[in-house]
Amino acid sequence: MSQPTNAAGQPQNDPKLPPREYTHPGLPEPENKDYAVIGKSKPKIDAREKVTGQARYTADLKFPNMLYGKILTSPYAHARILSIDTSEAEKLPGVKAVITHKDVPTLKYGISPARWDENIFCSETVKFVGDKVAAVACIDEETCYKALKAIKVDYEVLPAVLDPLHAMDEDAPQIHPEYPRNNNTEIHQDFGDVDAAFKQADYVRTDFFVGNRTYQAPLEPHTATSIWQDGKLTVYSSTQSPHYFQYYIAREFGLPMGDVRVIKTYVGGGFGGKLEPTGLEFAGAALSKITGRPVKMFYDRAEMFAHNRGRHRQYMKLTTGVDKEGMILGVHADFIMDGGAYTSLGIASAYYAGAMLTLTYEFDNYRFDMHRVYTNLPACGAQRGHGAPQPRYAFEAHLDNIAKDLGIDPIEIRLKNARRPNTVTPNDYVVNSCEMVACLEKARDVSGWRDKKGHLPPGRGIGIATGSFVSGAGYPIYRTDLPQASAMIKVGEDGTAATLYTGATDIGQGSDTILCQMAAEAMGYTYEQMKIVAADTETTPHDFGAYASRQTLMSGAAVKQAGEEVKTQLLETAGQMLDFPPEQLEVRLGKIFAKDNPDTILTTFEDVARTFFVRKGPLTGRGSYAPPKLGGKFKGAPVGTSPAYSFAAQVSEVEIDQETGEVAVLDVWDVHDCGQVINPALLHAQVHGALYMGMGEAIWEEVRFDKNGKIANPTLGEYRLPTALDMPRVHSSLVPSYEPAGPWGVKEVGEGATLPTMGCFRNAIFDAMGVSVNSLPLTPEKVWSALREKRKADGEEVWDPMTCECYLED
Amino acid sequence: MYLPDFDYYAPESLAEATALLVELGPAAKPLAGGTDILVKMKNGLASPSALVSLKNLTELRDIRWEPGRGLVIGALATHNQIRDSEVVQQHFLSISQAAHQLANNQIRNRGTIGGNLVNAIPSADLPPILIALGASVTMVGPDGARTVPLESFFTGPSCCVIEPEGEILTEIVIPEQDTTGSTYIKFGLRKSGALAVVGVATAVTMDGDVIRKARICLGAVYKVPVLAEEAAKVIEGKTWSDELLEQAGRTAVGCCLPISDIRGSDEYRRDLVRVFTRRALKRAITQGHV
Ligand SMILES: Cc1cc2nc3c(=O)[nH]c(=O)nc-3n(C[C@H](O)[C@H](O)[C@H](O)COP(=O)(O)OP(=O)(O)OC[C@H]3O[C@@H](n4cnc5c(N)ncnc54)[C@H](O)[C@@H]3O)c2cc1C
Repeated sequence: MSQPTNAAGQPQNDPKLPPREYTHPGLPEPENKDYAVIGKSKPKIDAREKVTGQARYTADLKFPNMLYGKILTSPYAHARILSIDTSEAEKLPGVKAVITHKDVPTLKYGISPARWDENIFCSETVKFVGDKVAAVACIDEETCYKALKAIKVDYEVLPAVLDPLHAMDEDAPQIHPEYPRNNNTEIHQDFGDVDAAFKQADYVRTDFFVGNRTYQAPLEPHTATSIWQDGKLTVYSSTQSPHYFQYYIAREFGLPMGDVRVIKTYVGGGFGGKLEPTGLEFAGAALSKITGRPVKMFYDRAEMFAHNRGRHRQYMKLTTGVDKEGMILGVHADFIMDGGAYTSLGIASAYYAGAMLTLTYEFDNYRFDMHRVYTNLPACGAQRGHGAPQPRYAFEAHLDNIAKDLGIDPIEIRLKNARRPNTVTPNDYVVNSCEMVACLEKARDVSGWRDKKGHLPPGRGIGIATGSFVSGAGYPIYRTDLPQASAMIKVGEDGTAATLYTGATDIGQGSDTILCQMAAEAMGYTYEQMKIVAADTETTPHDFGAYASRQTLMSGAAVKQAGEEVKTQLLETAGQMLDFPPEQLEVRLGKIFAKDNPDTILTTFEDVARTFFVRKGPLTGRGSYAPPKLGGKFKGAPVGTSPAYSFAAQVSEVEIDQETGEVAVLDVWDVHDCGQVINPALLHAQVHGALYMGMGEAIWEEVRFDKNGKIANPTLGEYRLPTALDMPRVHSSLVPSYEPAGPWGVKEVGEGATLPTMGCFRNAIFDAMGVSVNSLPLTPEKVWSALREKRKADGEEVWDPMTCECYLED
Repeated sequence: MYLPDFDYYAPESLAEATALLVELGPAAKPLAGGTDILVKMKNGLASPSALVSLKNLTELRDIRWEPGRGLVIGALATHNQIRDSEVVQQHFLSISQAAHQLANNQIRNRGTIGGNLVNAIPSADLPPILIALGASVTMVGPDGARTVPLESFFTGPSCCVIEPEGEILTEIVIPEQDTTGSTYIKFGLRKSGALAVVGVATAVTMDGDVIRKARICLGAVYKVPVLAEEAAKVIEGKTWSDELLEQAGRTAVGCCLPISDIRGSDEYRRDLVRVFTRRALKRAITQGHV
């Protein structure tokens, strides 16, 4: 049959366009000859389990006598709880426990210690549609729904705050009595002298932008199975951080951390939404304690949307002063963030929003004002890129406006201002490696920018944007002197296998794989002989988990140290066995040889490891990593610090249907400086994935609410993640880079590639049509509307579809 | 998200199925692919006492060309079956294309044309092209069979003329005709798995450059799929030109009354009706049945 067509009536595979080609992860990367195991696209260690369906996620686990639990949530955005009657529910056959705030600890929790503002269950007021009120444990799932229906809650509905721009009004309803005017977080940072910079500037411009509420929408719903036995609690969870879960669960129930074991199973994606306890762990633990049975709890898709912790909606005002040449002299960022009903990770999100703006371009004068306000909507938190992607969109759009006003090419203005290596940002971030200039130049060249810019046919446009992200946060989420990461390696007694024990948390991104590559490289061993035990607070050493793109650098540093410790001991024993000075020996891929004669294999890793075991017992290595003290002295200085920063430039080419506003993204070129690469295939997969999410947020995704604060689209049908068919051709490439602060020179890639995407699409649309859509997502209807406004402003006749003769009756 | 309890039957013949539905009363519902009704049941929007599966009525899966009658599509034919059918592609590629644009591959593998029509949502993708091509539908009930033109089948959102007591939709017939071109354009907010914001189907009978006859059917912009008859009148008997088709597009906007909802405002939908009516006419005129 013939080709499917798109709405514009063109075949989806237009023969005039070059054939769809994708950068094949891993294939075209040149082999890194300096290393034996890293720098190679080793297959994912868990690929087989996953693709054959053998991998067991938390929801797949079953335990004898296991009960099913569900949480009853509020139907109102803001209401006072007058009474809760659970008696009918308790009478239902199969119901084993019904609990409310009376049955659980009342200690407030949260992931941000500065604002612990959540309770396991609400006692006085409910603060958003979906707030937690009670929970049940039953013999099966079906009984849970019957029991939830039988719980009677009397509410007095209160006026709700749904508009963040009015949350701080004097007469706005109060959501948390402790935080007057719904002021959750207020930030005022001032570096250099912005006013003087604006005075000195040849041109000062202000723009406004609005971000969208988006949700991580991981494939796997949140699940936790809790087993409280003999005063000890075990929780299997779909988590990004067993450590934080362990810490907060122990704190909530007054248990020593040693009595709480959190085990990560396979995880089907998190993207920031599974970093903090979800309520399922707390309710499940309480229900298991009461019933004495394992309790499995999970959210369905709509409940996931209500629990949220996704991207904040931000209102962003940016003012920038530049000189005639387009050099940035000073920037003022003035933002409001809709935090939703609780803090979640929002304080960090709020700081990140402004703090990360100083990274990709050099300027000395910077002021950042932020209000994160409470509203009666689901709480927002950290989503891939944390608070940074929307401000990055705003700034990149703002910079293109300035470039246009000054008549400077968008890449030129970026090259002029691009950050250089070994510099310090005005907010005291120390940047070591930085190939921003190389990224921009390569993006320009591989995208054919010079031939395209200004020469594309009508409706086509090309845009550029940059991004930068931390390779791990400089400080953990709560105050502690624990190291960031630690690792242990145990070599088997006959030397034919070694197991890496690490608290690092693979949630699909592949950390288990690359950490085993790193361990093998450091030990002089092979990847294929590595096994891993990870993310179990009882059997693996401490690590903070998967967030802030930290594991390649931080967990990797600990693993490298552990591997090197194994290697040192191994070579010592080899030296004794061979009667050879150990410092003159080397081991690579399990073969031991003299450094000056690598072609003659003297003995093997396996033989020596076996002898070591016979003589001394287990051959083990240990490692741990703590970053140096980072950051300045001002309030909030620690947020955004990192041992290293990744840099990226993205160019996209779009085609716009000028009548419908539909935006077809044709090509995206991502050029990344992410240090030395451990596994090229996984690296490019991260770029594809991050870009995919950035694209979704740029054009399609938005959590919408009805007038009562209820989510209008809590389904994957109406919360439209892009599909494979919506993806552009993706060209992911790298520039050579080496980061002195990272093991083998590594930096992050997982979140950085989300940052430039929204701005780069906006700029491509701006280039194509000369219209700016100043709010995300850049939906067809918004583009359509902007195009019509422009035509009207240009004096063209624009037909009004609202005023034609009507032939129908309603 | 839990399927409530219901009784389940899988009768072996059409007669048995209608008798069963009569016996069980209007609280029982036929079950075809289940992609609508099971979803509604899980969401608590429907709670039939019984589901009468039509899966054993294999004769209703048939797609064939009957000289003198036209293209006959059994009510249980799935969307992918329709998309892939050589008979459909040979006579009305536009119907195959419309089926391909519906939902996503998983839904197309299970969902049926009968379910799509009886479900009667205003944004459904098959009704516009079928109405534009003058299709009729046959229903069999306890009192025998009846046939109605599809354009008078729908009575409101989720409502159609089918009798709740025992009537089963059996087949859809697209008559033999002299149309020279037809097409359906769906505007959804992503390339797969999105309901239509606007859907426009057109069918034309050309005589050289002169439009002899035209039928334009609009989806997702009124409580039922609606024929834009006034728009057709604007162009019938005339030599086609881009300006003429734009005129038809503008007139078609008067033949719809869209709502504003999460997928688009009424103003946007109206303007899309103009654009897609023009484009769909041009495509049917210049490219045939596509
Ligand atoms: C994710 C998703 C996406 C979708 N996207 C689209 C889309 O893009 N476009 C679109 O048009 N639709 C879409 N749909 C709707 C749906 O899939 C189709 O309408 C489908 O054709 C329904 O067919 P079915 O066989 O599954 O119906 P069922 O669910 O089995 O039945 C639907 C209704 O019709 C009745 N019924 C079924 N067959 C008969 C019969 N022969 N006689 C009498 N009554 C009958 C049933 O009793 C029931 O009331 C989507 C659905 C889902 C879940």
